[in-house]
Amino acid sequence: MAVQNKKLNLKDKYQYLTRDMGWEPTYQKKKDIFPDEDFEGIKITDWSQWEDPFRLTMDSYWKYQAEKEKKLYAIFDAFAQNNGHQNISDARYVNALKLFLSGVSPLEHAAFQGYAKTGRQFSGTGARVACQMQAIDELRHSQTQQHAMSHYNKHFNGLHDAAHMHDRVWFLSVPKSFFDDARTAGPFEFLTAISFSFEYVLTNLLFVPFMSGAAYNGDMATVTFGFSAQSDEARHMTLGLEVIKFILEQHEDNVPIVQRWIDKWFWRGFRLLSLVSMMMDYMLPNKVMSWSEAWEVYYEQNGGALFKDLERYGIRPPKYQDVANDAKHHLSHQLWTTFYQYSQATSFHTWIPEKEEMDWMSEKYPDTFDKYYRPRYEHLAKEAAAGRRFYNNTLPQLCQVCQVPTLFTEMGAPTKLSHRQLKYEGERYHFCSEACCEIFEHEPEKYIQAWLPVHQIYQGNCEGADVETVVQKYYHINIGEDNFEYLGSPDHKRWLSIKGIKPADEDKNAA
Amino acid sequence: MSHTVTIEPIGEQIEVEDGQTILAAALRQGVWLPFACGHGTCATCKVQVLEGDVEIGDASPFALMDVERGEGKVLACCATVESDVTIEADIDVDPDFEGHPVEDYVATVTDIVDLSPTIKGLHLKLDRPMTFQAGQYINIELPGVDGARAFSLANQPSRADEVELHVRLVEGGAATTYIHEQLKAGDELKLSGPYGQFFVRSSQPGDLIFIAGGSGLSSPQSMIMDLLEQNDERKIVLFQGARNQAELYNRELFEALDRDHDNFTYVPALSQAEDDADWSGYQGYVHEAAKAHFDGRFAGNKAYLCGPPPMIDAAITALMQGRLFERDIFMEKFLTAADGAEDTQRSALFKKI
Repeated sequence: MAVQNKKLNLKDKYQYLTRDMGWEPTYQKKKDIFPDEDFEGIKITDWSQWEDPFRLTMDSYWKYQAEKEKKLYAIFDAFAQNNGHQNISDARYVNALKLFLSGVSPLEHAAFQGYAKTGRQFSGTGARVACQMQAIDELRHSQTQQHAMSHYNKHFNGLHDAAHMHDRVWFLSVPKSFFDDARTAGPFEFLTAISFSFEYVLTNLLFVPFMSGAAYNGDMATVTFGFSAQSDEARHMTLGLEVIKFILEQHEDNVPIVQRWIDKWFWRGFRLLSLVSMMMDYMLPNKVMSWSEAWEVYYEQNGGALFKDLERYGIRPPKYQDVANDAKHHLSHQLWTTFYQYSQATSFHTWIPEKEEMDWMSEKYPDTFDKYYRPRYEHLAKEAAAGRRFYNNTLPQLCQVCQVPTLFTEMGAPTKLSHRQLKYEGERYHFCSEACCEIFEHEPEKYIQAWLPVHQIYQGNCEGADVETVVQKYYHINIGEDNFEYLGSPDHKRWLSIKGIKPADEDKNAA
Repeated sequence: MSHTVTIEPIGEQIEVEDGQTILAAALRQGVWLPFACGHGTCATCKVQVLEGDVEIGDASPFALMDVERGEGKVLACCATVESDVTIEADIDVDPDFEGHPVEDYVATVTDIVDLSPTIKGLHLKLDRPMTFQAGQYINIELPGVDGARAFSLANQPSRADEVELHVRLVEGGAATTYIHEQLKAGDELKLSGPYGQFFVRSSQPGDLIFIAGGSGLSSPQSMIMDLLEQNDERKIVLFQGARNQAELYNRELFEALDRDHDNFTYVPALSQAEDDADWSGYQGYVHEAAKAHFDGRFAGNKAYLCGPPPMIDAAITALMQGRLFERDIFMEKFLTAADGAEDTQRSALFKKI
């Protein structure tokens, strides 16, 4: 005989707790309340098929997060009181944090806004509540990241105005435009872009490098933030999976729409992560793993298994994944050599990798580093030694879609620049790749509005026409402190003094 | 040394070895628990301990909070057990699961018949009737064979004091070799049952598709006999896959059922029948036969799969491309030594299929 369960299971409990969150409107039309739900062409036949990817009530959420924060801030305090910044591997590491604070933390805030807005668009309560929960998580992540890194702001340059820089600085338009693109899309595209493509498919390529990077380089505060976020990230990932399954199962007409979004957002995410690739290979004094190794594990293997399963829905792997797979041998080197020559306009320092680091790269990139990239560094090092540290004074051509300078090379032809262009309504537009060009062609009205930093400087919209004025006045980068070469920088001198290698430079006393 | 862990609300029991985590033991024994990181940092696998002694292990203080530790919550991916334990996990209880108690039985071999060149039908008489759901399996102990072996019941529940098993000879397999070569009528065996989560979900609307391969016909046979005996009115289609006519066993039984019941259709498919002039049925794999029969559109049906992993895998793909999804597909994988190691890396997209 069947035994009746005396207890409600968690699913039933959750249903009883949340069922009044959804009601049928009586004096307004549903379509007027949720006007964006069908504008992308996604067909939802039955919201009740939505399976809550996690079951969390506000009550338990607050309890849980409060304890996490208590522990997290205790460690931040201990880190600050013990001058934790003195125990990191090397001050060059702090440049990774500058990139994170100005490039990633503002995205957490953008995600908060994105989920808050998107959640409002769904007539299904499950999706609505999940988005709301994630919005709160993202706001917390943005705040706790800033708190984790605020200690460094007392001791190093370039961390003083990250949110302002995110809105204005040329290379930060890469992450900013990525999220703006997602947030200005419809609700289902937003979830496919952020919950699925980013949080599920690509997130390990962002968080493992930064959080393991922190662990390998003695940055306890940031590592601890990573641990405190991981249980949230696990929920975000399950939401990404539920979203994609739900949309695909609701109607077969959704399949080609989702396929195009996956193609697009895989590529947008991959371009965004090119910044992480250089961080990983060049900005971490103690290296975790190479970009190509990370790409193999987290995309080629894990992504391969995922797309094998998605094949059952009629979804194929992202259209340009072959280009991305090929680029793993080149990406970080092409990015770093570009940033090296534009350091006059960055909020972090750049440098020539040390000999042991170059040997590490030869080992990790046996087919490409010695052949294509080591000679460039040797040349740049010679120039620097002769007192001609190279800065490129020509502003770069940016891609109209990803906004990265057109610095990448063609697949299988590492010395051939990848560049596409087309004319739309009389104007010529430039792209870094076939994939970005294709994204533009599908929605030209959207991308002709892109705010391209270089164009804006030339049009006189950035408080000046010369690099110095733009950098100082418009970007809030302190010239001579935040930017230029690392060797001999105030950060470098301060680190040497902390380590007792050389007496502190006298410029502070003079001030 | 191992302990029994009972997983509520479904009531499944697993054996957890010393030092083995609850999650590892559950997944190995085919019980799905929610999980993600697998090393104590994400808290996806959090469960409540209701009874017994559990060692928390290496759970991160950011994943398993102090208040939760006080409440008896643990992370299944890190937790080991020190006694028999009952836990409650965030999994759904199946309304169609009748939860018949597992008991030990003594069985006497009444007959062993050749069903095909590689499959024998083993008939046993139980010392007393066993209540079970069609589709479930038993664990049987064989002389000289370490540990019990699982076989699906091919008889329907109305034949409660009988056991019919379909046993394919696995090369090098100790148990199947013993059954094929040494076991004889009159022998006594110990068995326990019923086990498993493979049964017809009668609470769910929709017509029924059964896809069976090799000796995986056993469970579908029990389920179909049971449904027809109970005058179930849903449409039922059985697709049976085999290599050739000699391997296609119990064909007459299902052809007769097809004649006698308007709502039952039998579609056998042979994958190696190109040179068989006698064969007028479907040529190809069993999932292709299903695709052809339904014109690639399965929506509105519930599918039950039983057979070797490659067949299951191909069938799932065919069904999903024809718009059936995880909630519509139920299966029993027949894993034997011959099937080799677990498949390659899987994503977290699907839980049960």
